[in-house]
Amino acid sequence: MSAMLLVWSARVRERPAILVSAAAVLVAALCGMALVVGIGASVPQALAAFADGAWGSPYAVAASINRALAFGLVGIGFVIAQRANLTNVGGEGQIAVGGIAATAVSLYGGASTLPMPLSFLAPMLAAVLAGGLWGAIAGVLKAKIGTNEVISTLLLSFVAVWMVYGAVQSEDLLRQPMSNTATLPESLEIPDVTKLPLLSAQADTPLHVGLPIALLLAVVVAIALDKTVWGLRLRAIGLNTMAARRAGMRIAPSIVLVLFLAGAFGGLAGAFMLQGDQGSLKAQFSSGYGFDGLVVGLLARGSIPGVIAAALLFGFLRSGGISMEMEAGVPSALVLVIQGLIILMLSGAAFWIDKRKEVSR
Amino acid sequence: MTEEMAAVFVGSSLRLAMPLALASAGELVSERAGVLNMSVEGMMLIGAFGGAIGAWSTGSPLLGLAIGVLAALPVALMQAWLSVTLRANQIVTGIGINILVLGGTTIAYRELLGRHSRARIPGLERWAPPGLGDIAVLGEAVFRQTWLLYAGLVVIAIAAWVLRNTAVGLAIRAVGAEPRAVDKSGLSVTRVRYGAVLFTGFMSALAGCFLSIGDIHTFTEGMTNGSGYLALAAVIFGNWKMGRTMLACLFFGIATALQFQLPAMGIDVPTALLIMLPYLMALVAVGGLVGRQTAPPYLTRAYVR
Repeated sequence: MSAMLLVWSARVRERPAILVSAAAVLVAALCGMALVVGIGASVPQALAAFADGAWGSPYAVAASINRALAFGLVGIGFVIAQRANLTNVGGEGQIAVGGIAATAVSLYGGASTLPMPLSFLAPMLAAVLAGGLWGAIAGVLKAKIGTNEVISTLLLSFVAVWMVYGAVQSEDLLRQPMSNTATLPESLEIPDVTKLPLLSAQADTPLHVGLPIALLLAVVVAIALDKTVWGLRLRAIGLNTMAARRAGMRIAPSIVLVLFLAGAFGGLAGAFMLQGDQGSLKAQFSSGYGFDGLVVGLLARGSIPGVIAAALLFGFLRSGGISMEMEAGVPSALVLVIQGLIILMLSGAAFWIDKRKEVSR
Repeated sequence: MTEEMAAVFVGSSLRLAMPLALASAGELVSERAGVLNMSVEGMMLIGAFGGAIGAWSTGSPLLGLAIGVLAALPVALMQAWLSVTLRANQIVTGIGINILVLGGTTIAYRELLGRHSRARIPGLERWAPPGLGDIAVLGEAVFRQTWLLYAGLVVIAIAAWVLRNTAVGLAIRAVGAEPRAVDKSGLSVTRVRYGAVLFTGFMSALAGCFLSIGDIHTFTEGMTNGSGYLALAAVIFGNWKMGRTMLACLFFGIATALQFQLPAMGIDVPTALLIMLPYLMALVAVGGLVGRQTAPPYLTRAYVR
């Protein structure tokens, strides 16, 4: 019995992790369809609505891809941190501070007076910096007093999310001037020149310049992680901090830098969401994208191509889910169930994929 | 502030602190055994859902409470199986469970209760300790609470006593500090951790029921709205000690109550700041600004024989 188990687990281990991921997605999708049947909706109708919303038109495809951009950027940040064996669960907050910074610079930082590429790049850089600093707080805490970065990034997320809420509640901060009592608690619409330029002149495909930027960054990060000394050093720190320290590496600056970078990617995601999509800062700005991005990073199992695949999967899944609710009467919460199942199956499956790590000392 | 307002404020602080206290007492036990349940949020939500559905369909809030607890146990069992037996990342599984439960309860709520969303869900009865309930002003506003509040305090006190003074408590603490030693002494680390996680599930379910059938007598989608994470923050702020954790919950309850109290008194403090306060406090605590934090050494670490 145990011999059989051993052979079987060895076999699973030989297969690339991507097969396991695909299987998990498939099983979760089947469970989702079973649920559709369970609540008495029609599966073909639900699937048709899903396809329609996810990739039924050029607009739908572009909207799905724009969603995927935010997930993917947070995911890349997660993978960078993971390389140093750090878990960044702060994407949600990093998006939030990125959104705040981008809004502030777009509206009140004079970005709209700058010449063209600078007018949208300045808010974007502000967001990157803000997200990076937000992540670096966790890095400093970790490096100085060993605070578990999972706990600190999570707490920082909640603080940041409520900072957005606070910022759009007060006219002294980012709330639009109140002309009457019905004025919504959100910021002004940012000027057009600070929005991300669209790739195509036709308005029906809202693909923006964020796509090439994100792809470029993905390539850079993939090379940096796998082909440079820096990447190797991160891996060394991640695998055995003590040994890396004995080998003369300086651990503390690396930890701070890595969490800064992870946060910077979250901040950039926030900039894309604000400047490419939402246009104004609202209380619910980050809307769970950071947690979705975290899951994307997990699914990717440390590889940048994996991040891209998972981000696209979730981008299309989200878009399709929204359309299913509107067109087929299937609650979009179904997407949450599918997502949750994928996460749980993959986290459980890691037991068979990874070598069993000895946790003894 | 009038005497009456003060009494109402104290009463609502207690009422708002109680679900946090229940959940974080459960979570504390589990964290002392080395398992971090990010899934407290999800366990509370399914408890709240089970309690509401149970009370609504049976007409008995007590049965609702039982159903709420029963509904949370499989979720706790899943957390334990994934993170103890399969040694999956505790944080990841917790987040996965929260997403799954949020989706699942939302769909189930619409299916089961959607059409009756205005139906009154019978709630747990209110009760005041004899004598205390008759005090002028204070009695009604402060002491007349859902009986689950008093029962919960008893359960928390028992849990604190067991954790501190009994062999079971020693085993739990040892598993989080020196699992190898526990293993060598012949006790099963796995079994202790399963028990601790199930206890978290039980307490979180009570907390969820407190929200749905104790406090407001209804269920809304995603109604826990982050209180599970607040319970985690309380344990961190409490430095993994029961007394300080409960104090943290009381602080958090007061901060929440202030959100309603201050505007009523004409004091303009940004709501966001008050909501943020517990997280900031926890952050300051883990940042080492209020004494040394001593997390259980094996927190979030799987044990391999």
